[in-house]
Amino acid sequence: MSESKEILNLAISVGEVLLKSGGEIYRVQETVTRILEAYGIQDYHVFVITNGIFATVSEQQEDAGSMVRYVPIGEVNLKRVAEVNQLSREICEKKCSITEAHEQLEQCRNSASAGNLALVLACGVGSAGFCYLLGGRIYDSMVSFFLGILLEIFLLLAGKYHASRFLMNILGSALVTAGSLTLYVAGAGILSDKVIIGGIIPLVPGVALTTGIRDLFGGDYLSGGIRLMDALLTGMCIAIGVGAMIKIFQLLGGGTLLL
Amino acid sequence: MIDQILVSMAATIAFAVLFHVPKSEYLLCGMNGAIGWMVYLFCTSKGTGGPVASIWATLALTLIARILSAVRKMPSTVFLITGIFTLVPGTGIYYTSYYLVMNDLEQCIAKGMETFKIAGAIVLGIIFGLMLPQSWFNQLGKVWKRKV
Repeated sequence: MSESKEILNLAISVGEVLLKSGGEIYRVQETVTRILEAYGIQDYHVFVITNGIFATVSEQQEDAGSMVRYVPIGEVNLKRVAEVNQLSREICEKKCSITEAHEQLEQCRNSASAGNLALVLACGVGSAGFCYLLGGRIYDSMVSFFLGILLEIFLLLAGKYHASRFLMNILGSALVTAGSLTLYVAGAGILSDKVIIGGIIPLVPGVALTTGIRDLFGGDYLSGGIRLMDALLTGMCIAIGVGAMIKIFQLLGGGTLLL
Repeated sequence: MIDQILVSMAATIAFAVLFHVPKSEYLLCGMNGAIGWMVYLFCTSKGTGGPVASIWATLALTLIARILSAVRKMPSTVFLITGIFTLVPGTGIYYTSYYLVMNDLEQCIAKGMETFKIAGAIVLGIIFGLMLPQSWFNQLGKVWKRKV
């Protein structure tokens, strides 16, 4: 590979990790261009959207190169975003060669700050916390805690089999609703609405909403639109899951009103 | 009051874990989330509705996230995404679909509109927070560095 292509490959790989882990578009674009500049490439074009990176270097010369990467929306991993940020800072201060940068990137790619057990517990604590904040009692929070744990286990398993995100959101919220309503019908004396709200909070599209707005604000209307659409559809999927489950319980209970 | 602060902090830290925030930033993320929730509670206790309270809370969150990102040399997303979770309208989504299923369309539309309003308020809050130029925050980071 000619040198310009190697540099392009590095820059675009860094951008790919960043984009996949939940970085904003302007951050990815800036990182890629800064790395290209740091290694002395003058003539470049970089275009980033939510699902892909397109870049060319030295178009008019012998060693022209162009690359396209398809980047599906992945799991949010802010540690990777922070680490790649650090790496790009080091590259810009000309502290590392291309091979070193590749090695560091490989490390970033595999880094995660929490194991599966921690994720499951965190999901439980998050659900319980929100149940309490939104008006549940401590008793309700405890129920929400277990539903949150159940939800995260389900999400991890479904993620392993590459289930579609829509299906995961619908089934996840249905699972939480079913759990809560079963306990309610069994006479556990819980405030079923607060428990459900606490339980579905981990599914709520907070990341897509925030990133979408930041993309729009950075002038990346297409990418911002994709993210906001994602947020809207995720919200609707949650509503469908919850609604369908309530309806099923209502039908089973002979039309009694549940709350 | 104290329980609200502690619980919102714990819940935000839980989301920080879910999104793989670097361990060193857990506490700051939790603090940011708690501040956002406190602002929200304060505004609603003064009689503003949910959407207006959400604007102020997200504005506070965004500014603090940007300050923290300058001081800690972290991308501001780290603090913003985790902090915003206390304000995202999960309640609205639930009640909208609940009333839809219960065939109470009037309530359903009211709740649905409120959900959209709160989402819109969060959008506005973040945008206002992002309007201040980055150089101010960079300056703040430098001042902080000199002190430490």
